[in-house]
Amino acid sequence: MNNDGNQQNQGSMGGIPMQAPRQDMEYLCADCGAKNEIKSREPIRCRECGHRIMYKKRTTRMVQFEAR
Amino acid sequence: MDDSWDNAGSRWRGLGLTDPIKTVEDKWLLLPAFLQVKGLVKQHIDSFNYFVDVDIKNVVKANNKITSDVDPRFWLKYIDINIGFPDRNEVETVDKRVTPHECRLRDITYAAPIIVTVQYTRGKKIVQRNVNIGRLPIMLRSNKCVLTGKNESELACMVECPLDPGGYFVVKGTEKVILVQEQLSKNRIIVETDTAKSIVQASCTSSTHGGLKSKTYVVTKKGRIYLRHNSIHEDVPIVIALKALGIQSDKEILLLTAGNTEAYKLAFSASLEDAAKLGIFTKQQALEWIGARVKVNRRVMGPRRPTWEEALEALATIVLAHVPVTGLDFRSKAIFVATMTRRVLMAMHDEKMVDDRDYVGNKRLELSGQLLALLFEDLFKTYNTNLKSAIDKTLKKPSRVSEYDAWHTMQFQGDHITSGFVRAISTGNWSLKRFKMERAGVTHVLSRLSFISALGMMTRISSQFEKTRKVSGPRALQPSQWGMLCPSDTPEGEACGLVKNLALMTHITTDVEEEPIIHLAYMLGVEDISLSTGAEIYAENTFIVNVNGTIIGLTRYPKDFVLHFRKLRRARRISEFVSVYINHHHHAVHIASDGGRICRPMIIVEDGRPRVTSNHISELKRGELTFDDFLRKGVVEYLDVNEENDSYIALYEPDIVKGTTHLEIEPFTILGAVAGLIPYPHHNQSPRNTYQCAMGKQAIGAIGYNQLNRIDTLLYLSVYPQQPMVKTKTIELVGYDRLPAGQNATVAVMSYSGYDIEDALILNKASLDRGYGRCQVLRKNATLIRKYPNGTYDRLADAPLDENGQKAKKYDIIQEDGLAGVGERVDPNDIYINKQSPTNANDNQFSGQAATVPYKNTPLSYKSPIAGNIDKVMISDTDNDQTLIKVLIRQTRRPELGDKFSSRHGQKGVCGLIVNQEDMPFNDQGINPDTIMNPHGFPSRMTVGKMIELLAGKAGVLSGKLQYGTAFGGSKVEDMSRILIDNGFSYSGKDMLTSGITGEPLEAYVYFGPIYYQVRFLSQPSKLGSQSTEKISEHMVMDKMHARARGPRATLTRQPTEGRSREGGLRLGEMERDCLIGYGATQLLLERLMISSDQFEVNACQKCGLMGYNGWCSYCKSSKTMAQLTIPYAAKLLFQELMAMNVVPRLILDDA
Repeated sequence: MNNDGNQQNQGSMGGIPMQAPRQDMEYLCADCGAKNEIKSREPIRCRECGHRIMYKKRTTRMVQFEAR
Repeated sequence: MDDSWDNAGSRWRGLGLTDPIKTVEDKWLLLPAFLQVKGLVKQHIDSFNYFVDVDIKNVVKANNKITSDVDPRFWLKYIDINIGFPDRNEVETVDKRVTPHECRLRDITYAAPIIVTVQYTRGKKIVQRNVNIGRLPIMLRSNKCVLTGKNESELACMVECPLDPGGYFVVKGTEKVILVQEQLSKNRIIVETDTAKSIVQASCTSSTHGGLKSKTYVVTKKGRIYLRHNSIHEDVPIVIALKALGIQSDKEILLLTAGNTEAYKLAFSASLEDAAKLGIFTKQQALEWIGARVKVNRRVMGPRRPTWEEALEALATIVLAHVPVTGLDFRSKAIFVATMTRRVLMAMHDEKMVDDRDYVGNKRLELSGQLLALLFEDLFKTYNTNLKSAIDKTLKKPSRVSEYDAWHTMQFQGDHITSGFVRAISTGNWSLKRFKMERAGVTHVLSRLSFISALGMMTRISSQFEKTRKVSGPRALQPSQWGMLCPSDTPEGEACGLVKNLALMTHITTDVEEEPIIHLAYMLGVEDISLSTGAEIYAENTFIVNVNGTIIGLTRYPKDFVLHFRKLRRARRISEFVSVYINHHHHAVHIASDGGRICRPMIIVEDGRPRVTSNHISELKRGELTFDDFLRKGVVEYLDVNEENDSYIALYEPDIVKGTTHLEIEPFTILGAVAGLIPYPHHNQSPRNTYQCAMGKQAIGAIGYNQLNRIDTLLYLSVYPQQPMVKTKTIELVGYDRLPAGQNATVAVMSYSGYDIEDALILNKASLDRGYGRCQVLRKNATLIRKYPNGTYDRLADAPLDENGQKAKKYDIIQEDGLAGVGERVDPNDIYINKQSPTNANDNQFSGQAATVPYKNTPLSYKSPIAGNIDKVMISDTDNDQTLIKVLIRQTRRPELGDKFSSRHGQKGVCGLIVNQEDMPFNDQGINPDTIMNPHGFPSRMTVGKMIELLAGKAGVLSGKLQYGTAFGGSKVEDMSRILIDNGFSYSGKDMLTSGITGEPLEAYVYFGPIYYQVRFLSQPSKLGSQSTEKISEHMVMDKMHARARGPRATLTRQPTEGRSREGGLRLGEMERDCLIGYGATQLLLERLMISSDQFEVNACQKCGLMGYNGWCSYCKSSKTMAQLTIPYAAKLLFQELMAMNVVPRLILDDA
């Protein structure tokens, strides 16, 4: 991905920066609900309505609650 | 009376003489009509609207011209100023409207552009243009707010709660309130005595629209009267002052001050003699005398003016600045000073003639509009000086290519006004050098712990008095605050009585123009005061007419004058908020049109009959009339405190007698919004209601319809809030039934298990399982993905993999974008934002490739000991294009031992025991209580309201209706008992219960029924002053529980750290130590104070007594006499610190 340039901080640092996510993360516009992608260092703006707030979609993994 | 009165002949419209007079039923409906027009926080909104619509224009008008020192032909004039609607401060957006909710989420300011219309010279032409000079934060629900006039569904589209009162600002994403400030009224004479020093003084704080304030006193000193002012070094004998003001003859002075009253004349004679002794007889001499003592502050060195001119200027512009001096006509000012003197004389003669500082009529409330106007004036003046110097700089350049256009300069004036507003509101520091104003803590973060706490904050009034003073006067309940300020709602402790709350049906006035009123007064036959002498002014039947504290004239028919004036007001010829009243003490008629007076509406009574009739009310019910129509028809009017004092007000319609002038709309409006939640408060001991007012704000419940869309730092939500079974009318009016904070618990008043002493409550475990008292805690965690000035930037990274290609446990929930997945469970120490920052972010010399810089991990990890779930992940950007990430984490909590609960009657208790349902007592229908309350809570507290609430609640449950516990009314106990009997229960509310443990019937009948319990509550949320949201630790056990065996130590002393937040130890303090010494438990002492704390091995020399190391004494240069011993590290530290201060501590060792 972008191993170039940050070789020196792979070990303890960890983590591959998210410059271009492997599979596109989708976000929902808070105003119109349209699906959007967010590119890093670009202003966050809905392609449909121009709204500037995005929410992350719910995880697809199963979530188990403790009934208590 | 007998039938002879009631025969057919004496009937009129079918009614006999002895038939009960029909009263106006449901006149309380005027209250919802009032609130519909005004809303609950009208005072804030009205004040802001007045600022935006009127006052800001006055400010600009007062500073409307800029000229240049360089080019005398250049000028720039402000023609007009307008505030737009809040918009996004971005260039390329199509839809620029912004909602407050978006501002809250994106941490930006809800502000609107300030647009001025300017005219200026460009070359030889005069150009007119509109310029944006900055942005003004907009108050929510004001007339510049996008929420105003929207219905519920429109508000829902904007993610705004229809019940939210508004009246606050959103600045940098936080909600800020400018609290109402209470002050002594301006431009009025206040007479006080100091009995200890036998001083009488009349003081008057002058305040003109320039904002400059100065205080003038007329004081007695050794039996003589003086004029005192800050700008004059020495006290001026009053006669000299009056002579300087143009009243030269002693006879006239005597008449204007003492009048023809012999006692006053006698008291004044010494003052007259004084002036003669000083050899001052003429105006010129008096002016010279004063002029020599005026503080001259001259910045520009001009030719020195003669002393008498200095005096003239000081008297005209600084002393009593609010009394107008036109030309050099000092007559009105002289009469004002004379009146002050007379008031002093009167108070010297009769000590009852002093004024009461605490009287609400002598108070003015300062609201956000006034504060913003001052701030704007300051910012605008600075803006203008900056603009002027920028213009001068350009005009100074010798050769210009094109004609100079000032518009371009105005475009580049920076954001001085915008940042000034934002800084002042977000820090709360109003430091305006220009107006000698230095105030901190003007604004507060709106408390969103519950709906009621937010509402309570909007009606709060803080006083300027310092809290430390031990005087009781300002704290005491004032009879004049009846109906204006809530008698119950005040905090306990140091701010008790100084922080007040507005009652339900109050209005705070804004300024009304004075000139038309003065004009009107003259038309009504007021004579100019300048034309009369003291003999006439103080004649028996003459009344002085004041408008806003300034004397304008005399009238000999005060009653007629006031009557006609009121008639004109009722006919709406003048503003309904102008008050007029007769002060018989001072022989004066006062007309007030200034802002900040508290007033409230009342029904007018004429000829013993209220002017509001049943017809009016039925029209109101049908929606044909609004509250304004009642005002317009002259059947309802506003009275301020002073005019209230001049009226005869009936509480109920049957109380109307001959002289009655007004009728109360509804008695329960003397309480405020928070006290209005208490059912049957008139049956409670009064401090209980006050306690409840403090606790009602801490209850966890619903916060707003938009509560799940909000991302607040800390949000407590009740999972199943219920509206109370026993409501009040206030509850319906403020919307507490729609945003409740509590649940109707079935309570058995009995003792159980002994875990219920000292107000502890027993809870039913099954109720908790079904969701009783369950709440959710939502916590915001925000971070910025920053771009640094040197071109580097933060980044988000996905989870790192270890050697086996596995994610570490703490990175489990991180998804590819470096953020936790929504809905995932977060365990302690899990990372939910995997942020990385460049290591050289602050290195401004750096100029390499931004992508190549080394990064360090700066993740956000979850700190709470209990797991939570990711509720929301929001991504947005702020004003300056930094990416903002907010992660909302949710925890669910159920009640546990030690959690607090309270009813609505100031009775709080902790949960002492949670009992299985099968062990709870039950009645013959098999009903278990949710809560068992110990009956010992009742006798000493006398909260009878709570018992009636139980009774009414039980009746309500049985009949399927909600009952009312409105103050001074509500459902009657007798009716409730009737319902109980009809449903087969005992009239007294007591039931026969069977023990769940033994299965035997309980020996006594148990008072059993529903009481509205507030689901836990938080600690004092609103100690006025600086408070941070983090500091609010709640009363939930989970957040307090703490224990430690081993743990961190402080670096310096090596002793265990202190405090729960640092996982500290529990200190065995000096008093505990004393006990152990007294008991002789030496080994325990040794263990607690050394072994388990900061044990340390040292080497000490037996010869020199100093400490060495490794068995070597560096002082004796020997290892012969070294001994090893164990001492606390803190003791070793002390020895070394003493040595550093040139004190030698020597250890003398001995065998123990």
